[in-house]
Amino acid sequence: MQQTILTFLTKVKPDHVSELRTLLDTMAADVEHNPHIPYLDLKLLHFSSLVLTDDPGYGPYLVFENNFDGKLEPYLEDLYAHAAEGLHRIYSCCSDYNATGPCDKDRLLSYLREHVRRPNAYHIGNLGRSVVRTHQEDALRDGVEDFLDDMVRQGNVGPPATIRQKIQAFVRGQPAFAWAGNAQPRQTKMEHFIPRLKIGLAALIALVLLPLLIPLAVVWLAMLRWTETNEPPPLELDVKDHVKELVKREDRTHIVQNHMCSITTVKPSLFRRMTLRAILWLINLLARTSDKGELSGIPSIHFAHWSLIDNGRRLLFVSNFDGSWENYLDDFIDKASTGLTAIWSNTVGFPKTSWLVREGARDGSRFKANARDKQTFTNVWYSAYKPLTVQTIDNNSQIRDDLFSTLDETATRDWVRRF
Amino acid sequence: MSELTADDMKDIQGFVISGYAHLPCVSYLLLRVDDAAAARRWLGQIVSEVTTSEGKELISGLNVAITHGGLRRLGLHEQTLDTFSRPFVEGMATPHRSRILGDGAENAPSNWDWGGDMESDPTRAIDILLLLFGNDETTLDALVSEHRSGLARGGLTEILALGAGRQPDIHEHFGFADGMGQPAIEGTIQTRDAAARNIIKTGEILLGYVNDYGKLADTPSLKAALDPQNTLLDLPAVDETEQALPPGERGTVRRDFGRNGTYLVFRQMAQHVAKFCHFLDEATRTLDGEFDANASERLAAKFVGRWQSGAPLVLSPDTDDASLGRVDDFGYRDEDAHGFRCPIGSHVRRSNPRDTLGPDGPTALATANRHRILRRGRSYGVRPDDRRVDDGVPRGLHFLCLNSDIERQFEFVQQTWCNNPVFGGLDGEVDPLVGNLTKGDEIFTVQADPLRTRVHNLQRFVTVKGGAYFFLPSLRALRYLAGL
Repeated sequence: MQQTILTFLTKVKPDHVSELRTLLDTMAADVEHNPHIPYLDLKLLHFSSLVLTDDPGYGPYLVFENNFDGKLEPYLEDLYAHAAEGLHRIYSCCSDYNATGPCDKDRLLSYLREHVRRPNAYHIGNLGRSVVRTHQEDALRDGVEDFLDDMVRQGNVGPPATIRQKIQAFVRGQPAFAWAGNAQPRQTKMEHFIPRLKIGLAALIALVLLPLLIPLAVVWLAMLRWTETNEPPPLELDVKDHVKELVKREDRTHIVQNHMCSITTVKPSLFRRMTLRAILWLINLLARTSDKGELSGIPSIHFAHWSLIDNGRRLLFVSNFDGSWENYLDDFIDKASTGLTAIWSNTVGFPKTSWLVREGARDGSRFKANARDKQTFTNVWYSAYKPLTVQTIDNNSQIRDDLFSTLDETATRDWVRRF
Repeated sequence: MSELTADDMKDIQGFVISGYAHLPCVSYLLLRVDDAAAARRWLGQIVSEVTTSEGKELISGLNVAITHGGLRRLGLHEQTLDTFSRPFVEGMATPHRSRILGDGAENAPSNWDWGGDMESDPTRAIDILLLLFGNDETTLDALVSEHRSGLARGGLTEILALGAGRQPDIHEHFGFADGMGQPAIEGTIQTRDAAARNIIKTGEILLGYVNDYGKLADTPSLKAALDPQNTLLDLPAVDETEQALPPGERGTVRRDFGRNGTYLVFRQMAQHVAKFCHFLDEATRTLDGEFDANASERLAAKFVGRWQSGAPLVLSPDTDDASLGRVDDFGYRDEDAHGFRCPIGSHVRRSNPRDTLGPDGPTALATANRHRILRRGRSYGVRPDDRRVDDGVPRGLHFLCLNSDIERQFEFVQQTWCNNPVFGGLDGEVDPLVGNLTKGDEIFTVQADPLRTRVHNLQRFVTVKGGAYFFLPSLRALRYLAGL
């Protein structure tokens, strides 16, 4: 099943910034029941955020992040059906918006379509699990856990195979879990095959062009080293006050999930811009084969993406992740420093690197200070399943997938351990 | 590799290197500065009495720690005050820090006996923590009265004296041997008997040294012009901005206030011993409703992750084995990946997951070791005659710990490990002892083969009664403050 990640990126009319900010604050006061976008009615939506940024160099922007099931058009229909009035109010504050009212469906939706930014690179933690399925499978596990509590209380625990049979009988006896038997594959064969084919093709093309690529690579490396040596070192940052504001919005979900959005300026040279574009392309190519819930060994990212905006002059990064900001950034440093250094070393303020991927993020405290400095306030943030981590969702799916399948002794034992 | 010289040992307060096990009596005086000039004079006199890390066996000990507000009231310049780390500047009781630390409901700072929101409630302000130790009650009493008599002249008011009292042994009030599982600071005597896996970089505890990232951590510092007496050492040239300066000017730009100092976290935690025992007894009754002493003791050990003697469950899963009481050289990954021996959510496994969280053992261990703290806690209140009888006597733990980065160490352990409902693949439970138990039905999972048991309706066995973040300065820094 396909999922889509995108933002609607719009300029805000400078004289409407404060009005919009107030509007977003009203929404944030009670996200689930806010009067403008009834998130709970949007059954396709996993995570969504609204970020209002006002960089003096680029003017005010509204970033409306959407991570949803299926393709754009059905989602737009759903969004319009539930939130036409709210959307109209929000986008009335934005430039070039010309819908005459919430009923002017054509203009409203065309405006959104025109302002779609598809990411240059993205990651999905729980591939192919729809919002509905995520909720269902969590309820299934909760139900079985309670059933098992009773079993333990009665001192009635047999070998794994017996436990499993009892669980199966319990689920079959619950009409509410009638759906549990027919698990759909998370990806179709094509969805699984095409990313791998693309990598193969890219490798093949690279092989064919090798005689051409080698001199190119040598030139690129020389330019890289020259650039790295000659770029001025990043300034020492004083981020204390900014961080104080940021953390007020963090850890609201008993720290199971958090959101971060950052906008960085790409270093102003054609070389850096082209390098960044190429790196994002490559990372996106590789990230499409990640179906175990991990991005470069980080097991805690639900939806994350990078988009080049303003003609490649700025890099937008948005992430919905599990755990605390500190833990997330530590994971970046410990597990994914190569990839993220390759990306962000092309942006202003990143700690000094060598050979694109070395040093950089490994300078922990400077890396964190810079990440905080570039982080924007998330004005509104919605999650369809706040208590669930990527790993919990995956475990729930595994339980359901194997519930009625044939398992050997070892697999049966491992399956029972999932509770 | 030892970076610590004899000079440094004279400069570092002794509390960093030793928990003073030979000084069983202690009193913590919480003081407020009323008169800055008098307090600085007092500080100047007391510096010569501060116990250092030179390792002399003395019959008493004295150490001094100061809050951010205390440094301000002593007259430290605003621009210097701004260079301290954010948690220390903000204090322990901002709404965000309370979310990090799990200080909600009963544990909320508004319910604390001391500390809490000092910014908005000046009557709660605590400036100085004077730690006094004695080898017996007589020595301590003499030391306390001697220092009490000097407070008024020193422009100080005693807000509270937290006495710990002599404990019969190293067991805390729930019955468990305490103080195991400490990291050892590289370059100190602590590494002598330590397993390699427990040795951490000097800069993880002390400011001014290389930390686990191979960097000098941020340290409070000031312009050289503010230190005309040259009391403090130069801040080493660490960044490119400074390296670009002509050699003669390097290092003269700033002075290092933090070097040989560390941040001290203090939390007073009341323990509800009878409630704890009753809960265990009830939760482990047999099918016929019979009391089962062994099962009760076993569940307590499952909560903690060690037996009462201190023996790790991972090494001795079925019974207590006092011969393993001090053993600290073990992991969980190969020995107990599923938590069948030591539950994944047990207090010691959450507080230090060792080699479990990560793609492989060595990486996981290296990552976990960036979040170690040096614990210096002691029990307070008398040991109950019968742990199952609620005698109404207040008792608990004065939890003190040292670290160079409160956010990355103490707070991280609290937030990302102890209070994390999804720690290590768990779902919806927190540390059974120090976690923020707020839901109606809090659970604790005891993993077992083939099927886990979930203990329901956990109660709050530990309540936070007070707390603050302090800085434990070097002797040089104390002298600098006294000379302001």
